[in-house]
Amino acid sequence: MNLETELRALRVDWPETPRFELALAPRRRRRRWALAVAIAVAAVAAALAVPESRGAILRFFHLGGVTIQVVDTLPHADERPLTAGLGPVISTKSAERVIHALLLPPIDPPPPLHYTPGNIVSLVFEHRGRPVLLSELPGGGGMYLKKLASGGSHVDRAAVAGADQALWISGSRHLIFFAGQSPRLAGNVLLWEANGVTYRLEGPNLSKVEAISLAESLRRG
Amino acid sequence: MEGRPQNERELALRAQRGDARAYEELVRPHQEIAFRVAYVITRNAADAEDATQDGLVKAWRALGRFRAGEPMRPWLLQIVANEARNRRRSAGRREHLALRVLASSASSGEAAPSPEEATLDVDERARLLGALEQLSREAREVLACRYLLQLSEEETAAALDVARGTVKSRSARALERLRETYEPRD
Repeated sequence: MNLETELRALRVDWPETPRFELALAPRRRRRRWALAVAIAVAAVAAALAVPESRGAILRFFHLGGVTIQVVDTLPHADERPLTAGLGPVISTKSAERVIHALLLPPIDPPPPLHYTPGNIVSLVFEHRGRPVLLSELPGGGGMYLKKLASGGSHVDRAAVAGADQALWISGSRHLIFFAGQSPRLAGNVLLWEANGVTYRLEGPNLSKVEAISLAESLRRG
Repeated sequence: MEGRPQNERELALRAQRGDARAYEELVRPHQEIAFRVAYVITRNAADAEDATQDGLVKAWRALGRFRAGEPMRPWLLQIVANEARNRRRSAGRREHLALRVLASSASSGEAAPSPEEATLDVDERARLLGALEQLSREAREVLACRYLLQLSEEETAAALDVARGTVKSRSARALERLRETYEPRD
């Protein structure tokens, strides 16, 4: 048997093909996205007009209470566990006073809720044996900042059922700044905005499909 | 059991008019091969999954540029493979997995082995795949596309973003290199 025939006869142990949920955006949503991009372009133009930001901030995005900056050089940050600096545990009722549309994973009993400085409710739970951090922020406030190194990180649009808009941030390391805390290195992140609340899911090695599916499984508290 | 898919050209025309269901039906038969091409390029299942997902959505947005009546598979593979290359560039220290031989086709739910496969010893197959893994990325990808995934020259050219002539010459060189390592000259 020749080599080509032998190669064709090889049976490779391919990873299982996932089920792809395309969630294709209808045309009107695409127009809304185009409008958001136009606003972002205008914002970038405004930022570049400020002399001190030129050369450092390459572009930025806003999604609800979150600002994402793409920078040429990342500042120093530590690698800390997802649970670091989450703040004191609070009751579900208290959490609902901060976040009117509180989302929880379908886990019984629900994981402890933390009040994180900056009016953020955070919880860590396990998904497929790995920790996942869910943070919930009232929208519109500029509550935390994320910095990405240009070239190494991706910011992609995502489609999450019921969300007004969603972004998927992946690739090489990026930084997260919560109010009053030193920055830390973050993993892949799904951000989405719904009902005036900004939600954020972070997990090591979390894929986009996995993150969207997890986001869509969350239920009102 | 699903019925035979509708004519690809008809589905493409409907999808181009904005019919998302027609698009999903159009690309469904190609999702597995697209995912595997992405895996050959990224060598990481999570990156391959993301690349395929994003590629399928980008293809939907770019559908206006697709010529209905042309085969969908090479066009789709080109978009997904391009996404996979972008992922690979940014993945850096991400874990990369080598291809492995399927231990038993009976347990995988796949069809029974071909007569050619049945004559190949499992260790020998693992040795061949191991030799392929030792090749340069360029050589490994062209052989994986042409022989492991059994893509046509046109599809391989689209996936690797090279000309068909390049696929021919690259395959010939890669086979020669593989022969040197897998079949050492006496």
